[in-house]
Amino acid sequence: MSGSSFRSVFMVASCAGAALGCYLVSLRVASERAALEEVETEIVMAQRDIRLLQTEIGTRGRLAQLERWNVKVLALSAPAADQFLEGGFALARLTRPAPQDQLEAPVVLAAAPADAPKPTVQGAPQRQADNGDEGVSARDLLNVASLRTSPPSNRVTANLTARPATTVTADLKPKAAPPRKLAANDLAAAKPARPAADPLAPLPTPAKPTTATAKESGKAR
Amino acid sequence: MNAPTPALVAARPERLRLVGQRRQILAMMHQRLMLGMLVYVGIIALIVARILYLAVFGDHAGRQGAITSLIPERGDILDRDGQPLARTIDAWTIGLHPNKLIGDKLEIARALTRLMPERDEAAYFAMMRSGKNFFYLRRRASPALVEAVNALGEPGLSLDREPDRLYPQTSLAAHVIGYTDVDGNGVAGIERTYDKQLATAATRNLPVQLSISSRIQQALEHELLAAMTTYSAIGAAGIVMDIHTGEVLAMTSLPQLNPNAAGQGSPEARFNRATLGVYELGSTFKPFTVAMAMDSGTIKSFGQMYNCPKSLSVGGRTIGDTHPFGRACSVAEIMKESSNIGTAQIADQLGTARQRDFLKKMGFLDRSPIELSEKGRTLSPGANWNQVERMTVGFGHGIAVSPLHLATGYATLFNGGVYRAPTLLKVGRDHPVAKGHRVFSEDTSYKMRALLRLVVTHGTGKKADAPGYRVGGKTGSAEKYHNKSLLVTSFAGVFPMDEPRYVIVVMLDEPKGTAETYGFRTAGWNVAPVVSKTISRIAPMLGVRPDKAREPNLAEVLRFVREDLEQ
Repeated sequence: MSGSSFRSVFMVASCAGAALGCYLVSLRVASERAALEEVETEIVMAQRDIRLLQTEIGTRGRLAQLERWNVKVLALSAPAADQFLEGGFALARLTRPAPQDQLEAPVVLAAAPADAPKPTVQGAPQRQADNGDEGVSARDLLNVASLRTSPPSNRVTANLTARPATTVTADLKPKAAPPRKLAANDLAAAKPARPAADPLAPLPTPAKPTTATAKESGKAR
Repeated sequence: MNAPTPALVAARPERLRLVGQRRQILAMMHQRLMLGMLVYVGIIALIVARILYLAVFGDHAGRQGAITSLIPERGDILDRDGQPLARTIDAWTIGLHPNKLIGDKLEIARALTRLMPERDEAAYFAMMRSGKNFFYLRRRASPALVEAVNALGEPGLSLDREPDRLYPQTSLAAHVIGYTDVDGNGVAGIERTYDKQLATAATRNLPVQLSISSRIQQALEHELLAAMTTYSAIGAAGIVMDIHTGEVLAMTSLPQLNPNAAGQGSPEARFNRATLGVYELGSTFKPFTVAMAMDSGTIKSFGQMYNCPKSLSVGGRTIGDTHPFGRACSVAEIMKESSNIGTAQIADQLGTARQRDFLKKMGFLDRSPIELSEKGRTLSPGANWNQVERMTVGFGHGIAVSPLHLATGYATLFNGGVYRAPTLLKVGRDHPVAKGHRVFSEDTSYKMRALLRLVVTHGTGKKADAPGYRVGGKTGSAEKYHNKSLLVTSFAGVFPMDEPRYVIVVMLDEPKGTAETYGFRTAGWNVAPVVSKTISRIAPMLGVRPDKAREPNLAEVLRFVREDLEQ
């Protein structure tokens, strides 16, 4: 009796429960959807802001303005044809150690102290044998001075062993010009890092190859 | 509603088994009840269904006015690299509602004059007392001004946002892009041509991408403006074009125009000299005449000799030269020294019919097919095309075309001889290269390279040379028709000449001589340097590698040039 009389009540209750459950699910879905829409709106607003800022930056940094700054302050100009390199090969050429013509230049190699038997050595620089019969070895005496005969500047380059006791003079005569005597110490003081770069004759003193390369490439550029 | 429905309708009929009328009345009542209930249930079901539908698919109360995508009010215009050239942004508008004012009107008028001095106190006061509903005080107001007006705290002053067209690069390519009126309708340039596409909701989310490159445009504009100032010219025009696709990479017309405030520009500034202006461009036509003659077979080689007296009288007109030969000279020499007399004879040999036919095929007798509305009608001798006319047309007089025509003509001549319509839209998948038609033979096109390079290396256009970029081209200085003392100087150049890729046309309107040019005002002195400077700047951007070792084969022409003419 009780079961059949309450059947309808149960039916209604279960229907209502199911409907409520469905509704809750759909409510949940709707709220998720709303949250998603909110995020989407935020994204769009952010995009709009980005666009606005981009426009502002673009307007402030417009090409005409950059050009004006360039004319007034920076003064940059278009690169000339020579400033373009063909490739790795041309780039490597910029950093070559030294022009070869230094070998052909008349080179006076060394000067010795008063008691030393060899005052000068003529000819291309080459390694002197270590005799060992003197207090000062030939290696210590070997100084290299060279003249670069490139036309615009007859520049004297000298490398020193940096022994303060040794008096060294570098005497160079390019094309029968009047000999210019240069006190090498002064020279060294004036141009401290200018090594004679002679790739064939390893110099007795460390010639700071890295500095040389950097300097050469700097000049070539 | 505790489910009595089935009991009323069908259950326990034995209890309703009454007699006579009563039974009938009851049956009728049942029917009515049944009907009413069905209606009731139906309505409930409808409402429930609707609620469920809304719960599942509908909007909720807290939903904002949906901004679901970023579609501008009017489409963007971009350059070929994607840089914006025209954009629509929300701008501030300051309005006045005289009827909503609550403060002291005189006080407000005074404050407004202080903030916006374009009107005086009396004017503002008159507006407030006019009884009208609304005035625009300022459209496109700056944020600082909006803030200041807001600080007045007057409800009668409204601050609104409305879409506004902004050209971030200001005057850059202004004549190409064009501008809009206050209501956002395109009235010039691309804005006008593509107004529908830019304004329609369905298509405005896609930007219009132009073939213009802002960097190249800027370089051209800057150099041209400098020259225009130096030589006190009244105007100038310049075009850079890709000869293989017909894309216009830069097109400028000076004096400058700021499209953000186009209404403030003078009519002179709004005039597009590059497409709307037509000019007798003078000697820049000579290469066409030579190419026509070569194509038709009247010139067999650049060594063909013509008698070049100091002046030539034809039909009552005297043709003269700036560098008279007074002897027989070869085609190469005629071109190198830009001899009118020689070219006139070449054109005469060619004949009117063939000349007109070639000009027609190059598009010189019609308006340019470019995507602008501002296009000038070219002027030609028309029906009156006789010997004198064909001679003068041969060296660029008696025919007036726009600088764009000239650029297209040079592109035709050097891309292998195929005419292609110039375009302002970037060539890509949506916009393929225009179909062309052949005008000159490939052989003619090839041979002309050396001839034009000769003009720059040895002839009148020496100052146009940009070292390493192999510029070839032709100078042109034409007297103005209405005043023979005024000149239009132009230079049409192509680079790199050993493998032509780009054409550049530069024109100055009425340049004057300066001390640096020793008083000369012909093209070789004022326009040619512009070409040199511009090419040095733009060629690296265009991917043209400078190479001093490469040259077109000049031996084909140099052997026909007499050495004693060298200066």
